Amino acid sequence: MNPIGFSTGALALGDFRLALEYLRGKPLTAVELSALRVSELPLLLKAVPSLDLNQFNYIALHAPSSFSATEEPEIVRLLTRFPDDWKIVLHPDAVHDSVQWLPFGHRLALENMDRRKLDGRSVEEMSRCFSLMPEAQFCLDLAHAQQWDTTMTEAYLFLRSFSNRICQIHISQLDSASHHYPLSEGSIRAFSEVAWLIPEDVPFIIESRVSSSEMDGEIAKVRKIASSAARDAYQAIPA
Amino acid sequence: MRSNVIFDQIRSPIDELSERLQAVWPRISTAKHAAVEKVAELDEALAGETSADTSVVVYGSLAREEFTQGSDLDWTLLVDGQANPQHQKDLLSIREKLASLGKAHGREKTFGKLTFSHPILHMIGGEDDTNANTTRRVLFLLEASPIGKHREAFMRVRKNILHRYLTEDHGLTRKADKGSARWIPLFLLNDMARYWRTMTVDFAYKQWDRGNEGYALRSLKLGVSRKLIYASGLLSCFWCDPLISKEDHRQTSQMEKIYILNQKLNEMFLLTPLERFARFFLTHVESRYLISTAGRFFKTYDDFLGLLEDGDVRSHLESLSSDEMDEDPEFRAARAIRTRFEGAVREIFLGTDSPLHQHTLSRGVF
Repeated sequence: MNPIGFSTGALALGDFRLALEYLRGKPLTAVELSALRVSELPLLLKAVPSLDLNQFNYIALHAPSSFSATEEPEIVRLLTRFPDDWKIVLHPDAVHDSVQWLPFGHRLALENMDRRKLDGRSVEEMSRCFSLMPEAQFCLDLAHAQQWDTTMTEAYLFLRSFSNRICQIHISQLDSASHHYPLSEGSIRAFSEVAWLIPEDVPFIIESRVSSSEMDGEIAKVRKIASSAARDAYQAIPA
Repeated sequence: MRSNVIFDQIRSPIDELSERLQAVWPRISTAKHAAVEKVAELDEALAGETSADTSVVVYGSLAREEFTQGSDLDWTLLVDGQANPQHQKDLLSIREKLASLGKAHGREKTFGKLTFSHPILHMIGGEDDTNANTTRRVLFLLEASPIGKHREAFMRVRKNILHRYLTEDHGLTRKADKGSARWIPLFLLNDMARYWRTMTVDFAYKQWDRGNEGYALRSLKLGVSRKLIYASGLLSCFWCDPLISKEDHRQTSQMEKIYILNQKLNEMFLLTPLERFARFFLTHVESRYLISTAGRFFKTYDDFLGLLEDGDVRSHLESLSSDEMDEDPEFRAARAIRTRFEGAVREIFLGTDSPLHQHTLSRGVF
């Protein structure tokens, strides 16, 4: 079974300490610390020594999703000061100068984008991003992929094309305005169709905006998706 | 329409085939350049008009990249998103911008309007699948292209239409008792055949409705450019068979088959109808039979475009009455082109040396 965790931003926007409180004691071994806004990054860096992260085998940090070209060097500098076994999730459309990000190598996980963005939405567009940052790994956002192509063909192509790069999954449901919501049965069915292509050691990071009382229910849904691959014998039948 | 820089840099399969055959088809080339220029002009005019939820879609000769002097500008504004009264205002603004850039859309009022993804996608078959709805849906696959900055709504809807045709065609994923499951998507093939027959019936309807006005030109188009789009649809369905596209899917599982077919059909429908045939011929370049047919097929189509490009001939054919047609030398010459084209299409699909022969008999006829 794949490791499962939450994005702190989904549980408590801008308050990673509160989110980590919610996670304590839950059967979760992965976490993504969110610093989606530029102002959150130095606060998170300062807090790292005091955070109890012992419960987690996999830790990722979500870099700011938007910054100016003049802010970029400082963001890169701050990110280099985080523990070097943490993955850094990055939106490809946020990057101004890819050369500055090259030293992160395989620690970097580029994420596919939702349909509001003008780049990074499809395999073709992500291939161009990887050509600029060739060592980067891949964070597949299933909700973004589903929003771009509701048939899940693009998600399938992402998993096939970048199978050697995939290091984590973002999972949630998007509404038509691209807001993250708890998973519906429809999304569970759609994601289950491609889940068998996700390697067993790749963590699912839940991005659904849920209250602390809804966490267990959302974890159960993700377990259902992750375990669907093992249940589905259909995948092995040759065409 | 491959109007953006990346697509324009990709060499067309027609260019490659023309080099292989050491043949030139100047009218096909001219019409393509005219289409690319027209799309660039439209792109500029439409700047800022669409969003991630909407695409302006062009049809007909512009989508086929066969734009000639007399070509209409057929378009719709596709909406694939939340209901919003603003869409009507967007339509009016687009209509105003496009009015000065091309001859208005045809009389049947299928074009120049808002088109919503839901009926196109959900109403396949049954009483609610009107003539206009079937036309829009099948043209979305065979002869339509998004223009302007935002293409994604169109691409999304096209993939979803294909998904319906593929996932509801249980024979694609159900194993036969002996041998393997079929690859040719019959639900899709049958809907395209239905559309082709609808066009031929509507041809007679227009004759009745318009008192034979424009009969000669319409008859010519039905037998050449309309037949081309249907034939290219049939070819795309047969292309799904790995033996026809020469792609190795031995390692493919049932689970992947629908995604692979969706992608394969999408790639085919991104090409123009003529390019679909060029791709097929290039894949079977070792077949002397097909390569010889390819030369006749493209040469005849080039002649047809030459005829449409000649303003005098076109006007003459448009105004010719059905009583005068049989004795009219220009119509007789045009009819000879149509006959040659029909012959080439028959050779491709029904010739005993064609790899499509058996599929056409077993899937395309009954």
